[in-house]
Amino acid sequence: MAAVVEIKNVSKIYGEGLSEVRALDDVDLTIEENEFVAIVGPSGSGKSTMMNLIGCLDKPTRGIVKIAGQDVNELNDVKLTQLRNYAIGFVFQQFFLLPKTTAVDNVSTPLLYRGLSSKEAKEKSLAMLAKLGLADRSDHQPTQLSGGQQQRVAIARALVTDPTIILADEPTGALDSQSGEQVMNLMEALHKEGKTIILITHEAEVANRAHRRITLKDGKIVSDDRSGQKV
Amino acid sequence: MIFVAAKLALSRIRATKTRSALTTLGIIIGTMALISLVSIAQGATRGIQSQFQGLGATNLTISATVPNTLTLDDAEAVASQFGVELITKQVRTSAVVGNENNQVRASLVAVDENFSEISEPSLFVGSFLPTDKGLQNVRSVVLSSTLALDLGLTVDSINSKVSIGNTEYLVVGIIDDSQGFGSDGIAYVTLESAYRYFAKSPYLSSISLRVADENLVSSVTGSLTSLLLNRHSISNASDADFVITDASAILEALNTVQSTLTLLLGGIASISLIVGGIGIMNIMLVSVRERTREIGIRRAIGARQGQILTQFLIEAIVLSLLGGIIGVILGEIVAVLLANLGGWEFVLSWATIVAALGFAMLVGILFGVWPARAASRLKPVEALRFE
Repeated sequence: MAAVVEIKNVSKIYGEGLSEVRALDDVDLTIEENEFVAIVGPSGSGKSTMMNLIGCLDKPTRGIVKIAGQDVNELNDVKLTQLRNYAIGFVFQQFFLLPKTTAVDNVSTPLLYRGLSSKEAKEKSLAMLAKLGLADRSDHQPTQLSGGQQQRVAIARALVTDPTIILADEPTGALDSQSGEQVMNLMEALHKEGKTIILITHEAEVANRAHRRITLKDGKIVSDDRSGQKV
Repeated sequence: MIFVAAKLALSRIRATKTRSALTTLGIIIGTMALISLVSIAQGATRGIQSQFQGLGATNLTISATVPNTLTLDDAEAVASQFGVELITKQVRTSAVVGNENNQVRASLVAVDENFSEISEPSLFVGSFLPTDKGLQNVRSVVLSSTLALDLGLTVDSINSKVSIGNTEYLVVGIIDDSQGFGSDGIAYVTLESAYRYFAKSPYLSSISLRVADENLVSSVTGSLTSLLLNRHSISNASDADFVITDASAILEALNTVQSTLTLLLGGIASISLIVGGIGIMNIMLVSVRERTREIGIRRAIGARQGQILTQFLIEAIVLSLLGGIIGVILGEIVAVLLANLGGWEFVLSWATIVAALGFAMLVGILFGVWPARAASRLKPVEALRFE
């Protein structure tokens, strides 16, 4: 299987001199297509930095980050944005839906940035919302939706571009246990459909659903546990 | 993508109505000032212009600058020149006009039978001087309304008598001079009675004439100048004992006044429009800061820097154009009210409206670029983390 994430000798350093912080310190990591990975660790371990690098939101200070085969260091803003749009579907803890924007318009947004006509984008978005059981919520604004519904709209927005990687940052962190369970079931279903799932979490229960657990501490990978991987 | 950005901008403006209205208030006021002030400048001067156009662009006047030089024979010669359609001869002097009520010094204008056709005086009451050949030597007088008022005459005073010098005249009409200037009292009499009682024949003060075609005005002016120089045996044009004037010279001067006034008032209004633009910039900068998280989300899901820039720039342009449109409507309303108040004609100038809207849009672009650039340059990571 092809590697969708390749991280080689990567360091990410914030600040300079005495105030220098090594958020990631000479890390190597490869994630293959259709893996279900959880990146875990206490706060300050480098989880968020890892997510920003995998999500092409940031570039490493040193080392090579390749996403879907493309070296992010060699990409300008336009190409990097394009890579985010095509390869990665983001799911955030706080959902990060656009305020005062209906569910269907939220889901359409990445398609419009890609250059689709608004008619085509709307059709695809409605289909994706229906697939996630939100057909009757398509014209609701975020404030009219429950947390679980908002997160499912956000997942619909992540999926509508048909990305290779679903990158979820504490996706159940702001949800009650029932909604959280629904979201995790959804992640598993997406994995079965062939998506690569990368979860960033500090909850053991969530991490245990993944097939591979990578533990970060002080900017280094301290364990890479594949015990959960199904045979 | 511009269409999408425009849609985004519109929905954002709709979602924040109060703030958008306040943001664009400066543009509204600026455009309103621009439209109404320019309209005042144009309307007020156009009133004066139309009076001059009433004199006719094809009318010329030859006035004697030295007494007793212009003669009836000159008039005959002028009338037979190519391009001259109609002439009217005048003698001007001043006299004391009186009746039992009052004695007033007034201009005395003696005219021939063609005068009313060239000058088209507007009659207030009665009729103008008789034009039939046989009645030319009657002692009839037409008074300007100013003079009639000074003499205590009313609508019913037609056929009353006034004295001019030592001679009694019959008042046959009163003309409305309220639209003219130099609202001195004027008494019009026939040329023949003037020669009989107070003017020296065959001398004239002026000859007015109508040229057959507007395009001939300058060539006729030229040929008349050389004709009269020749007849008066003057070799050097600068020694001429007459001047030829036409309405176009006065109109030209008025046009200059109008454009100067328009520029001046328009310039002042433009300053307030620019100040309005600064208002837009202010609020847009605040808005960019407030929406940092939103910008981060958009960047994460695939908005390029250029697309963020376009979104905010279009928002600024839509805001300023919206303000411009409201300002134009309010400005035209103010212009109509002022025209009624000032008593001039309201003129709807599409050129001014287009210019005002264009200027409002330019202000939007000018002052929208900075906030839009600031928005597009936010780093995705930092924008997402922004609380």
